[in-house]
Amino acid sequence: MSATTRGPWLGRVLTRPVVIALAAGGLGGVLSMVFLLEFHRLTSTNAFCTSCHSMTFAAEAYRRSAHYSSPSGVRASCADCHVSEGLFAATWDHAVGAKDLIKQLLGPDYDDPAVNALHLPDAAFAARDWFRRRDSATCKRCHTLDAIAGKRADTLAIHRDETAGKTCVDCHYNLVHRPVPDRRTFKREAWNRMVEVEHGLAPGAAARLLAEE
Amino acid sequence: MPDRAPSAQRAWGLALCVLLSFPGSHAQAAKVQLDPSVWGHPAGADCVSCHSKSSAGLAREWEESAHGKAGVNCMDCHQADPADPDAREHEGQVIATIVSPKDCGRCHTQELAEQQGSVHAEAHSLIAERVPALAHNLTGAAMQASGCDQCHGSRVKVRGDGTLDPATWPNSGIGRINPDGSKGSCSACHGRHRFSKAQAREPEACVRCHSGPDSPDKEIFEASKHGMIYVAQRANMNLAAPEWVAGRDYTAAPTCVTCHMGAAGKLPTTHDVGMRNVWSLNTPVSERQLLVVLEDGEKLELPAGGEIPRRGAEIRKADGTLGKVKAVGSPQQRRQAMGLVCQECHGKAFAMAFMSQFDSVVELFNGKFGEPARAIMGELYARNLLTPLPFDEPIELTYWELWHDEGARARHGAAMASPNHAWWEGMYLVGRNFYGRFLPEARAVAGEQAAQAVDPHLGEEHHGWLKRPEAANPILGIGTPGGGQ
Repeated sequence: MSATTRGPWLGRVLTRPVVIALAAGGLGGVLSMVFLLEFHRLTSTNAFCTSCHSMTFAAEAYRRSAHYSSPSGVRASCADCHVSEGLFAATWDHAVGAKDLIKQLLGPDYDDPAVNALHLPDAAFAARDWFRRRDSATCKRCHTLDAIAGKRADTLAIHRDETAGKTCVDCHYNLVHRPVPDRRTFKREAWNRMVEVEHGLAPGAAARLLAEE
Repeated sequence: MPDRAPSAQRAWGLALCVLLSFPGSHAQAAKVQLDPSVWGHPAGADCVSCHSKSSAGLAREWEESAHGKAGVNCMDCHQADPADPDAREHEGQVIATIVSPKDCGRCHTQELAEQQGSVHAEAHSLIAERVPALAHNLTGAAMQASGCDQCHGSRVKVRGDGTLDPATWPNSGIGRINPDGSKGSCSACHGRHRFSKAQAREPEACVRCHSGPDSPDKEIFEASKHGMIYVAQRANMNLAAPEWVAGRDYTAAPTCVTCHMGAAGKLPTTHDVGMRNVWSLNTPVSERQLLVVLEDGEKLELPAGGEIPRRGAEIRKADGTLGKVKAVGSPQQRRQAMGLVCQECHGKAFAMAFMSQFDSVVELFNGKFGEPARAIMGELYARNLLTPLPFDEPIELTYWELWHDEGARARHGAAMASPNHAWWEGMYLVGRNFYGRFLPEARAVAGEQAAQAVDPHLGEEHHGWLKRPEAANPILGIGTPGGGQ
């Protein structure tokens, strides 16, 4: 093919409307990329995540955790753990995460600390499933299995010899937020009792709160 | 029954063994009769692989234990049903941290049956109601966790998030109420994770709790001839023997286990440590006790002075529930069982005369101090001279120490042949307290009512010496050569 044959072909295709459309599309594409990048930047801040009162309960425990204050000064943000890496995956996570906003607006009163605590186990189970489905991908943003040496000599050997077929979250859960038992051994009745005692509710009030929703 | 012929006594003892022991028990530690295929959980190897790195100490202890050698692994003991209150997920398995007597009893059935309802298993339940008045009021709840409950056992609380409440755990107290409802803690005596027979046969197995002011049994044993010979002859104690029948597998000296649980001659071993005890010794007034064995395997101590329950009768247990009487062991039968141990090394007359010395001390404590002091306190309460609240008045502490500390020490000292504890650490202090603190305080509290509330309880037999102030004696060293003036 020569330049002379391409010229008329291109000339025929690149009519003014097409050029305008391409330019608009390109600009639109760039703009939407910029929008998404900025959107994720803004929505991945701890300030944004805790802008709903309901999320401040999760943040309280987080601020006491090693993921918030480590001696090295590395601090994992909400999104470092809970939003996937990469624009498309992050967009997907944020899209799915929008249901949290919908539930916040239309669902139970998560701003009530007792209601929040009653729902915490289900949130924990869902989060653990999420981590497991992704093979603990967000953990691995910072943690590299081969590099885990630990303070005790055995930590290295355990991570070398005992991790086949396991993903980080299989062993490492209840690290940051209020501890919740594994789904298999979780006892709803006992959890409800605990929440009732902590929040000064009458026996049976927890079950009623959950049923009202 | 000193007039019985030895053979008749032996037969009587055997009848008692049948009555009070688990059917089919032999004169040695029970062997687990299960097929080895019931243990060796497939996940056990994974536990060991990781724990030999993460907690090498406990893994090694297990590995070198009889359990380890027989292939009984972590999961065999720690496995749990997800519905268990204290079940938790751990590295893919559902486990429980606490291994309760019920768990151990999956294989050690005879030991579980004997342990159930024993004074050890009931050590928490028996005092649960009373503990707060001392531990919480006099000090604080923290002391229940670190003090009382470490020996008596805690009521383990599983929190709503599945964790064990640190106010109630770690705890290996012998009367621990476990999340599965069972009572006791095998590891109170059988140290984890080696569970060594030899270790449990040592007097030190009992020391953590049987020491201190109210039951200084460690110190008493050490100060007795038994303890003296034990130390000298420890190498001959055959402590690690598979079976440990006194008089057959060892003869050097007895340990706590020997007399209170051990097999001796034809007397079978028992995990009901109080079974051979005639008296209650840690009470304001000692009583000879019946051992009531219930149909459900539990047991009950009842004062022998009261009505003897009939077989089949319903009776209220310590926890308030009802049980049906299966058999009743009399104090005489219990003494007979203990006597069989003595007689592996001592003549019958010697053993029974020793018991008679012991009984006399208990009866002296009861008659001279325990009963009058209790009656005087009763008068002071009845006359509203004391508030019902314990320990808010000094005399309540005085009275408490009289029987709970000094009085218990004297009685234990006599029971196990430590002259120092029977006298200087025991009854001497009881007498000093009674005449030097208790009576003056009681008279001060009673004031004008002392003549009615206090004096009538001081009988001539025991307290008549006070009425002869002229009876001088050189004991104080006054007016004697070398004794001062």
